Amino acid sequence: MRRYLITRLAQSLLTVWFTVTAVFVLLRLAPGDPAVNYAPPNPTSAQLDAVRAQFGLDQPMAQQYLTFLGHLLRGDIGESFQFRRPALDVVLDRLPYTITLAMAAIVVTALISVPLGVWMARRADTAKELGVNIGTIAGQSMPDFWIGFVLLIIFAVNLGWFPPSGFTSGASIVLPCLTIVVLQIALISRLVRREMTVNLAAPYIGVARARGVSERRLTWGYAFGNSAIPVVTALGTRFAAMLNGVVIVEVVFRWPGVGELVVDALKRRDFPLIQATVLVTVVLALIVQLLVDLLYPLMDPRVRLGQEARR
Amino acid sequence: MNDLAIPARVLRGSAAARRARYSTIKMWVGGVCAGIVVLPVVFARVLPLPDPVRGALRETSLPPLSAGHLLGTDPNGRDLLSRILHGGQTSLLIGVLAIIVSGLIGVLAGAAAGYFGGWVDAAVSRLQEAQMSLPLLLMLLLVVALFGSSVPIITLVIAVAQWPEPARLTRALVLVEREKPYVAAARVLGLRRVEILARHIIPNVLSQVLVVVLLLLAQAVLLESALSFLGAGVQRPYPTWGGIIADGRELFVTGEWWLVTLPGAAIALLVLGVNLFGDGLRDRVRRAKAVQA
Repeated sequence: MRRYLITRLAQSLLTVWFTVTAVFVLLRLAPGDPAVNYAPPNPTSAQLDAVRAQFGLDQPMAQQYLTFLGHLLRGDIGESFQFRRPALDVVLDRLPYTITLAMAAIVVTALISVPLGVWMARRADTAKELGVNIGTIAGQSMPDFWIGFVLLIIFAVNLGWFPPSGFTSGASIVLPCLTIVVLQIALISRLVRREMTVNLAAPYIGVARARGVSERRLTWGYAFGNSAIPVVTALGTRFAAMLNGVVIVEVVFRWPGVGELVVDALKRRDFPLIQATVLVTVVLALIVQLLVDLLYPLMDPRVRLGQEARR
Repeated sequence: MNDLAIPARVLRGSAAARRARYSTIKMWVGGVCAGIVVLPVVFARVLPLPDPVRGALRETSLPPLSAGHLLGTDPNGRDLLSRILHGGQTSLLIGVLAIIVSGLIGVLAGAAAGYFGGWVDAAVSRLQEAQMSLPLLLMLLLVVALFGSSVPIITLVIAVAQWPEPARLTRALVLVEREKPYVAAARVLGLRRVEILARHIIPNVLSQVLVVVLLLLAQAVLLESALSFLGAGVQRPYPTWGGIIADGRELFVTGEWWLVTLPGAAIALLVLGVNLFGDGLRDRVRRAKAVQA
């Protein structure tokens, strides 16, 4: 167990290093000079040089990278070009909003998609199920920003039930959450259906049914118990992806989260802020993945962490 | 017919027959949905449409179903239908190119990983894992924001994002396929390994992989629209679907709802069509393979 944890942490560190390095290289390779964005309008070359020197962009690239890594080890990503304060702080200020949205979305997704998927598996290949099935395909076919705008037009502009943008009250979260959830429910409920149809057709279900186990226990106790691992894994992956992937929904609803921040940082070539955002979201995603993996033995007593051939 | 052990009526009602019928329904509905969008887009240049770039100054912000403008116009007097169809050409082009590239990379990498195993397999798998742990949309945005939004860059970016899925499937299928007797027979006949893989194994798994690649077209169109919505899309010659929506996003508050909803409906209809068609096709291919086996 301890060995497993150490290996996992080492792998995670490697991923973090790989990601920040990839971003570092991409940022430096890209054409365009960030100094232009932060110098006074119509700058002289002396002014541009001054800005570059201030940001450390005048150093050779290898030098910049070593400085960057050195500071990173001390937990310092540098000062955001546009906010003139530590980039990490800027990101951490916005993080609670993104986490709140992601949490709300994943809870709603789990509450709806699991029963829905189980229902679809039990009614597989009936006319009613075909209707719901096509509905879930439609759910994964709509662009999320489009769903957002349609909801905004109906519920915020015309009906005025919810605030249109930003974070003003508790009701602000309803529409963004709804927007995210449509796709997630479609994906997860289809996964649940797939896993459950396989398990419901397994011989052990027939045996248990012959022994007089109730249909409800067959479904939830037997078949769902065996479908739990892939479903929880998928929920964890989706949650981790949301921590960095709700960019679009945040932009549509002007939700003051990390996603909105990073789009802006990209436009203004705010290198430290981009690095900080990527770093924070990758670390969070890795933590979520690790937590999900640690849950495996609880869901399936056959699983021993750190041994190959999990299933 | 009554002397059959199982009457035709019962056979028709069986789960297998229903599944076959439902997959046909899905393919038809999907094909029609996709066709409604694809055909006009392909023939946009031939159709009698107003200019998508130059608008008429007297015809600004007309609602849909106005005379001469089926889907209305934007504040610059540009015809929305014309913009959607012309912009859709770029969206579709990128989508199709992207799945060709990702399909090629995926099939080759997956087949090599499955057939040769060893370090090839390890390398491909590690690469996939490394990519899975990256924040996808963020990285795509980063690359496009930094290297500019041209058709090749966006195509490549989407293809790179998508190759793991066909690769994983191809690898799994090849792992099963390479143990079959005909592969052993081919080796006994003295065929080279690359030859066996390219001429015998890949053709046998291709039908199943192609369905997944077709389904990737839906993802590619969605991804492209997301990128161009965030301002990282192709701007020339016409803004793509996501770009049209981004142009209209400030305007729905003042009542011009059609500028964001209708282009999005085009995306949704196309993607739904591709997804339904692919889903039905997948059922069918899987059944055909099951019968063969």
